[in-house]
Amino acid sequence: MADAYRLMQEQYVKILETYLQEKNETGLYQAQQFSKKVLENQISPEEVVSLHIEALEQFYPNLPQGARDSFDFLIEIMMGYGMAYREHQILRDKQKELESEINVAANMQQTFLPDEIPEMDELDIGVISVPASKMSGDYYHFIKDDNDSLGVAIADIIGKGVPAALCMSMIKYGMDSLPEQRLQPGALLENLNRVVEQNVASNMFITMMYGSYDPRVHHFYYSGAGHEPGLFYNYAEDRFEDLYAKGLVLGLDRDTKFREYHKKVEAGDFIVLLSDGVTECRTDEGFIEREELTRMIREYSHLSAQEIVNNVFYQLERLQGFRLRDDFSLIILRRKV
Amino acid sequence: MNLDIRTEELDGETVLFVGGEIDAYTASQLRESLLPLTEKEGAVIVVDLTDVNYIDSTGLGIFIGALKSANSNGSSLRLTGLNDRVKRLFSITGLDEVMDIEEEEEAQ
Amino acid sequence: MSVQSNVEVHSEWGIVSARQAGRNLAKELGFAGVDQARITTAISELARNIYLYAEKGEIVLEGIEGKEAGGVKRGLKIVAKDQGPGIKSIREVMEDGYTTSGGLGAGLPGVKRLMDEFDIDSITGEGTEITTIKWLR
Repeated sequence: MADAYRLMQEQYVKILETYLQEKNETGLYQAQQFSKKVLENQISPEEVVSLHIEALEQFYPNLPQGARDSFDFLIEIMMGYGMAYREHQILRDKQKELESEINVAANMQQTFLPDEIPEMDELDIGVISVPASKMSGDYYHFIKDDNDSLGVAIADIIGKGVPAALCMSMIKYGMDSLPEQRLQPGALLENLNRVVEQNVASNMFITMMYGSYDPRVHHFYYSGAGHEPGLFYNYAEDRFEDLYAKGLVLGLDRDTKFREYHKKVEAGDFIVLLSDGVTECRTDEGFIEREELTRMIREYSHLSAQEIVNNVFYQLERLQGFRLRDDFSLIILRRKV
Repeated sequence: MNLDIRTEELDGETVLFVGGEIDAYTASQLRESLLPLTEKEGAVIVVDLTDVNYIDSTGLGIFIGALKSANSNGSSLRLTGLNDRVKRLFSITGLDEVMDIEEEEEAQ
Repeated sequence: MSVQSNVEVHSEWGIVSARQAGRNLAKELGFAGVDQARITTAISELARNIYLYAEKGEIVLEGIEGKEAGGVKRGLKIVAKDQGPGIKSIREVMEDGYTTSGGLGAGLPGVKRLMDEFDIDSITGEGTEITTIKWLR
C-alpha cells in the first residue's frame, strides 16, 4: 500500500511537470489515464490532494504560505469524500458477495424446474419461464403418468424475487410429496392447498392451475386456484377463448374444494397457460390487453410451440424496454395434426 | 410512490380511504394502517378503494392477511369502490367469494 | 512519552477543542498532513456522536508506543467515553451503510477505516467507550 503510494507519487510528479511545461491536451489525457490508476490502486481523494501539494512544493519551493495552507483546508474538505469512497468500496465488495450468493441460489432453483420438455407423439409443447430478476416466483412442472397422460402445473407465488423463490421451493416439495397414484386436478390442488395453508405467512398465497391431458381421448381436465386464466385456441374456428377455472387461491382456507373442468381438444387446437407476468406487462401506454397477446400468438401460430412462446416473450420484452416487471411464464400445448 | 390513506368514523364503522397503486412498494403502508384496525373485536372496517386504480399480488396479500386477522379477532372487513380491473383480480383469485365486496349501485 | 489530554465534550465547541488537541498531538508525534486530517476527522466523528446522542462525555488523547517486528512503533490513541444511552446493537452500527441513517453510532465504520485499530464497548443505559489507534508509518 505504501509502495503503491510512493510509485503513484513519482508518476504524478512526472506527468504534472510535463503538463506544466507543455500545457497541451496530451498532458491532460495523461491526467485522465492517471485518474483511472488512482482508482485501481484505491488511493482516496484526500491522498490525491496530498500528492498534488507534495508535487507543487517540489516545483515551486517558494510557494506562498497561504497557498500551501489552503491545501490543508482542501484535504479537510476531501475527508468526507474519502470516507464515502471507502464505504463505497466495501459496499461494492459486499454487493458482489450477495450477488454470487444469489447466483448460487438461482442455479439451485433451476434444478426445481424440469430440465427437459416431455416428448409426446400427440402434443407439441413449448415452455418459457423467465424471472424478472435472478430468482423466480413462477413454477411449472410436467408429470407423465402410467396411462401416458401428461400432467402440467403452472403456479405463481405472490411477489417476486428471493421471498417468492423461497416459497416456490415449498410448492416443489409439496408436489413431490403428493401420493404416487395419479391425482385428479381438483384433488391435487386440495392436497397442495393443505400443505401451503400450514406453511405460509398470513399474507402469502399461491395461485395455480393444474391440468391433465389424456392423449387417448384428447381431453384436457383442469382445475384452478385463483390463477390467471389461460387461453384455448380453437383451430377450426380460428378463435381464442379464455381457459378459466374458478377457485380460491392456495394458502387461504384449509378446506377449499376445487371444481374440475374439461375441454375436448381437436387437431391444431392449443392450450395456453401463463403467469400474470404475461398479462400484467406494462408499457408506457398502460397494460397490454389480452387481445394484444392473442394477436401475437396468432401471428406466430404457423411456428412450433416452442418458437411461438419464444417469439411472444421477445415481443413483450421489447414492448417493455427489455425490463421485466414480474416473473414471466408461458406454456403452450398444441395437439399435433 | 406513496398511498394516500385516511380513516373516518362513520355510523360506528371505520372507513379507510385508500388512494394510489397498491403494489410491492406500497403494500406495507397499507398493512400498517389496515391490520391494527382488524385486531379490535367487533370492529366494522370498510376499505374504500375508489381511488385505487391498480393492485398487484402483494397488495392482494395484504387483504388476505387482513381477512384472516378479522376472522380470528371477531371483526369484519368490507371492500367498496373497486374498479373493473381490481374487481377482476378479486374475482380471478376467488376472493370475491370469501370477502365482503360491496357492489356499488345495487347496495345503495 | 507525551502526557494524555482530556477534552470534555458537551457542546459543538468541545468538538473543535478535541480536534485541536488531536491535531497538535498528531503533529508533535510526526504524522503527515493526510494522517493528521484522518485523525482529526476520526476525533470529530466520535465527539459529534457524544455531543448529539450522549449529551456528556470526553475524548482522551494519548501518544503511545507499541511493539512491532523491527522494534518500537509510535502511535496516537483516542478514547471516546460517554455516559449516554449506550448502543443496543453494536453489530448493526458497525455494519457499512448504517452511516447514512444517522443516530447513535452512525459513522463508526468510517472511523474504523480511518484508523488502524478500533475497539468498542457499550452497555445499554450506562454508556459507550470507543478506543482507536493510528500508528505512525
